[in-house]
Amino acid sequence: MNAEAAANEENKSEKRTKPSLWKTISIIFESRVATIGMVMVAFWVIVGCISLVWTPYDPNSSDFIQNLSPNATNWLGTDHMGRDLLSRLMQGTQVILLKTRLPGGEHSIPGGVAIWGVLGSLFLGVILGLNAGYRRGWTDQIIMQVLDALIAFPQIVLYLVVIAALGQGDMVVILAITITGAPGVARLARSLALDIQTRDYIRAAETRAESAWFIMFREILPNARGPLLVDSMLRVGYAIFMIGTLGFLGIGLPPPDPDWGSMVNEARKYIFVNQLPVIWPALAISTLVIGLNLFADGLREELMRYQK
Amino acid sequence: MVRFLVRSVVSTIITILLVSIGLFVLIEVGSGDISVKILGVFSTPEQRASYRAQLGLNAPTWQRYLDWLVGNDWRAKSRMTYPLITLKNPKTKEVEWWADVDGQATRWKMDKGELKRLVRKEDGFSKVMPAESDWIKGEGTEEFFWGVDNRNNAVKFVKGSGEEVWVLTKAGLRKQGDGPREYIPLRKGLIRGDAGLSWQYNRPVSMILKPRVRNTLVLAGVAFVVVMPLALFFGILAGINEGKLLDRIISITSLGATSTPEFVTGIFLILIFGIWLKVLPAVTMFTSSNAIFENPMMLALPVMTLTAVELGYVARMTRASMVEVMDSAYIRTAIVKGMPYWRVVFRHAIRNALMAPITIIMLHVNWLIGGVVVVEVIFGYPGLGKFIFDSAIFGDFSAIEAAAMVTVLIAIITRLIGDLAYTLLNPRVRYA
Amino acid sequence: MEIIKRKDRKDAHPYIPELKELYQKGRVTRREFLRNATLLGMSAAAAYAFISPFAPKKAMAAAMPKRGGTWKCGMSLQLIDHPARLSWTEGANVVRQVSEYLSDTGPDNITRPWLCEKWVASEDLKTWDLYIRKGVKFNDGQVMTADDVIFTMNEWLNKDVGSSMLGLLSYWGGPQNIEKVDDYHIRLHLVSPNIGVPEHLWHYPGVILPRNFEGDFIKQPVGTGPFILEEFAEGERAVLKARKDYWKMGEDGQPLPYLDKVMYISMSADAGLAAFQSGQTDVHYHPRPSDYLALKDNPMAKILTVDSSYCYPIRMRVDLPPWDDNRVRTALKLCQDRKKTLQLAAYGLGKLAIDAHISPAHPAYCEKPIPAYNPKKAKELLQAYASEKGLKLPLKVKLATKNDEAEPEIAQTLKQTALAGGFDIKLDITEAGGYWDRWTEVDLGITSWTHRSIATMVLPLAYTKESIGAWNETRWYDDEFSALLKDAEAQLDVEKRRSIMCKLEDIMQERGPIALSYWVQIMEIVNKRVHGMEAHPTHMHTTLRSTWLDG
Repeated sequence: MNAEAAANEENKSEKRTKPSLWKTISIIFESRVATIGMVMVAFWVIVGCISLVWTPYDPNSSDFIQNLSPNATNWLGTDHMGRDLLSRLMQGTQVILLKTRLPGGEHSIPGGVAIWGVLGSLFLGVILGLNAGYRRGWTDQIIMQVLDALIAFPQIVLYLVVIAALGQGDMVVILAITITGAPGVARLARSLALDIQTRDYIRAAETRAESAWFIMFREILPNARGPLLVDSMLRVGYAIFMIGTLGFLGIGLPPPDPDWGSMVNEARKYIFVNQLPVIWPALAISTLVIGLNLFADGLREELMRYQK
Repeated sequence: MVRFLVRSVVSTIITILLVSIGLFVLIEVGSGDISVKILGVFSTPEQRASYRAQLGLNAPTWQRYLDWLVGNDWRAKSRMTYPLITLKNPKTKEVEWWADVDGQATRWKMDKGELKRLVRKEDGFSKVMPAESDWIKGEGTEEFFWGVDNRNNAVKFVKGSGEEVWVLTKAGLRKQGDGPREYIPLRKGLIRGDAGLSWQYNRPVSMILKPRVRNTLVLAGVAFVVVMPLALFFGILAGINEGKLLDRIISITSLGATSTPEFVTGIFLILIFGIWLKVLPAVTMFTSSNAIFENPMMLALPVMTLTAVELGYVARMTRASMVEVMDSAYIRTAIVKGMPYWRVVFRHAIRNALMAPITIIMLHVNWLIGGVVVVEVIFGYPGLGKFIFDSAIFGDFSAIEAAAMVTVLIAIITRLIGDLAYTLLNPRVRYA
Repeated sequence: MEIIKRKDRKDAHPYIPELKELYQKGRVTRREFLRNATLLGMSAAAAYAFISPFAPKKAMAAAMPKRGGTWKCGMSLQLIDHPARLSWTEGANVVRQVSEYLSDTGPDNITRPWLCEKWVASEDLKTWDLYIRKGVKFNDGQVMTADDVIFTMNEWLNKDVGSSMLGLLSYWGGPQNIEKVDDYHIRLHLVSPNIGVPEHLWHYPGVILPRNFEGDFIKQPVGTGPFILEEFAEGERAVLKARKDYWKMGEDGQPLPYLDKVMYISMSADAGLAAFQSGQTDVHYHPRPSDYLALKDNPMAKILTVDSSYCYPIRMRVDLPPWDDNRVRTALKLCQDRKKTLQLAAYGLGKLAIDAHISPAHPAYCEKPIPAYNPKKAKELLQAYASEKGLKLPLKVKLATKNDEAEPEIAQTLKQTALAGGFDIKLDITEAGGYWDRWTEVDLGITSWTHRSIATMVLPLAYTKESIGAWNETRWYDDEFSALLKDAEAQLDVEKRRSIMCKLEDIMQERGPIALSYWVQIMEIVNKRVHGMEAHPTHMHTTLRSTWLDG
């Protein structure tokens, strides 16, 4: 809703503003909220990057006594398997933000599950939304009907059934995030497209006899970038949240590499004995989500102010 | 208005069809062998095959979907000697299928190679009568009969056919091939109000689902009643104090609450209030079906968990909307013109500011249902969310379909209400 | 515990005197004597009297049982329709309070007659006479006779019912081999000799049903047991009410049970743990090691334990590389640090095991030294294999299991200890249902095997040629092993059976398909106010009829 409002604001000026990358970045630093948010997110990205080359101990090896509280050796304590929680927490960042394990387990690609999931829903949602919003008529009807069905589809069933069908895996979680995120993105993209397509420069492109795809992706999309970006920030937050929830329900990312969700799931059995293994990943999820929210909030406010 | 409604209804039906087909395909691909899940891993392959046949699982995929949608009793009727009827079981109130043999409700079974009639008595049980005369001559030496068995299947009993395996029994020689051959699990179909049979519980889905839906509506309803006034209050408070300390405190707290997953909040609430302090029931124990009304304190922790997550979300929305409205030209003009501040806030700002959060809340219901799943799982609350979770893990086709239909309906109805509310509140949209 | 007046048997099994002699010479243990003598038809009271003639007549309990109260337990409740079709112990726990079995295997692993007054086995163990207890009434007033028992047996053996009794009782050869001698006497004519008949009659789907049973226990909860099913709500709760005219008397001379009500409330293990700790339930069903840790210092918890043959074997598909090579299998076995596994997976609760599916809880177990953790030797073996196949170490393998009880911990530990032995193990851990869908198919996996009271109940199920395609998840069989196993099944002589077991254990250790670190110690965690409950190796609530509450 607010993102859409931002879009309207943005396009009121009727000018073809294509903010450069540097401008976008400078906007961030103009907002204190966005800066704080970005610092929080950057903290976890850096932690994740460090964990790629170094963690205090091997995150998967049971070298210590089980369920220790924080001490000089294990700063955050140990879990029920006698593994160092700090190392695990650090490595947990990787699967969420930094790398995706390909099926087969041999290789991984850069970009975490949450990131790819959101990119996926962005890709799918933008294609559907732009087509619906720009072409209108029957295309719009059909796409919106399918999207309605997808939105109404009980998400948890979708995950469970997809996971039952394909087994646990990073790709499955990405797929789940993509499918559940796409309708929202599509709705946003559609409303933006509906708005932008009334502009003169679209008329101009049409008289130049540009193809529909060119108009959608070269004319409309760049002007819808801001709101979509803000929306995606929030979506990464939801996705991390969801990975945590799926992990808690025992259907998230597969072991052995820890992710925050599966850390919570494993530690849940021991919650009455040792709360820390649940608290740390939960705190990690919370701070990262808060960071993303603040970042998105600040960005949105600045975008709106900037456009005014 | 009429056109709008008609279009909504048509679109709803299409949505439901799409969702049901989508689910059907997913479950078809996704679930393993149901018979193993029910009979256990120590069942023999023959037993599993027989059980699958009894569930009608050896029918083609499209047929099973159609059976679920429009029923299959008409398919069975054409083969049966006697007309089919449905009766309610006096003890469990489940609908049962019988055949009407001269006014007597009857089922059949085969016992030691002989066909027996089970004639229904007043109490719902039946007495056994011989039924050898029911056999119909088939090809060759084969005799067959289409009847109903006591698992609500239309069954083709066969005698004297197939495998020539003779077994010496105490009663004499008997052909092994005799017995039930083909099954049609009788159902009326969803469009005739029969949601089918849950495989996981072997009961009609509707009977299990009804109390679950009620429980979830109670939980979500109480949470809604608690969350909404609080969230709107805090949101408005923060909105009119934008940038001040109060706004900061409310905003940061609500952001923190929304960003903490339900499972963390729930677990720690249990730990603190249920186990350490022992002041509230730790989990919801349904010692009777009306336990939540007899002991409403059970709802305290689940509602608190849902509140923690939802409160922050709605409050943030309200705040943003309030800030926007307070910033708008007409409010500023009103204040500049000298209208009393509080009157501007109450008469103009709030009304306009609530529009956005209300529509958002309606669109948010599906997300809420996801949250309810987690809360129900944590607290052992027998509601719709847990039902969906369990059914999906089991691969219980009819149960997932029925439960999904309910959530789809909830989602669509709330969206319709949202659309209507928005249309009525906002004249610009109404004529668009 | 139970004092049943009974005339001395005239028809004691001919092996019993020999068994007595062996026991007196100290060549069979106390438990083996008890078990074998009772299986052969000696009454448990007589057998106990024989081994300890001077034992005081059961010390007076500190307190007389109190009557009344509602006993509550959190436990997941699944499908209950036809009791013969039960495939989960949870459902059986509800049904067994209403209906009863012909025999009763106690927590001491001794099988006693129950609805059967006694049984008599022929010398060749192929003909069994079951004498049905007289004067037992179903809760609808009907008197139980041989007709009910035969009806029930027919249900077990009918493939359309889908009972796991059918596979277990395959040596019965079908319903035609059940003979009704008179109203209280049934004779079984077995196809092959088997000493396990009384134990099999206690298999949990085997409750005795009335002869007019129509296939749904919820509509027709008719049984001979101490409780009546008052309410059953799927996935919610089962409420059971005491019956007034139960056939067995309590210590106070009145009919059992002592409890007014039994309530099972459906919840997950985690919710159940919370409910127990807050005092909402009296029993924490099927505790996991983590639950033990959470409750061991809880002042209101009482922990009951019993040894079992429940285990988590790491099993290897011998028809697939690399597990088809015994050197690789042996290497993996050597990579187990059993003590560490036991500590990490079960907090040291349990007994260390050898790599054979024969437990110290099984009678006739042959004591063997526990193999040491030896990654060096494992690596040598693996190196030999790898260079032969042109592979490089570490050998990459995938270990599948379920996130259910202690399996993830066992898997994680093995992954770590096997690294030094030259294995690079990738874990594939899914939810329980996901693993049960493919448990026989994965090439390396950890499967949980439930307690079985004798080794000859489990070995033919999983380690013979006939069981390939059914439950032989490893596809492993061995001619020598199978021949010895056949001998063991029909071998009455306990000493001879032990020497056979010795050989069976050796074969499995030397070339068998499983690696096994420990045997589970079964626990039942109850509130201190609960009395008269005992932990049972199968997690069955077998003694609720004599359970009582204090306060």
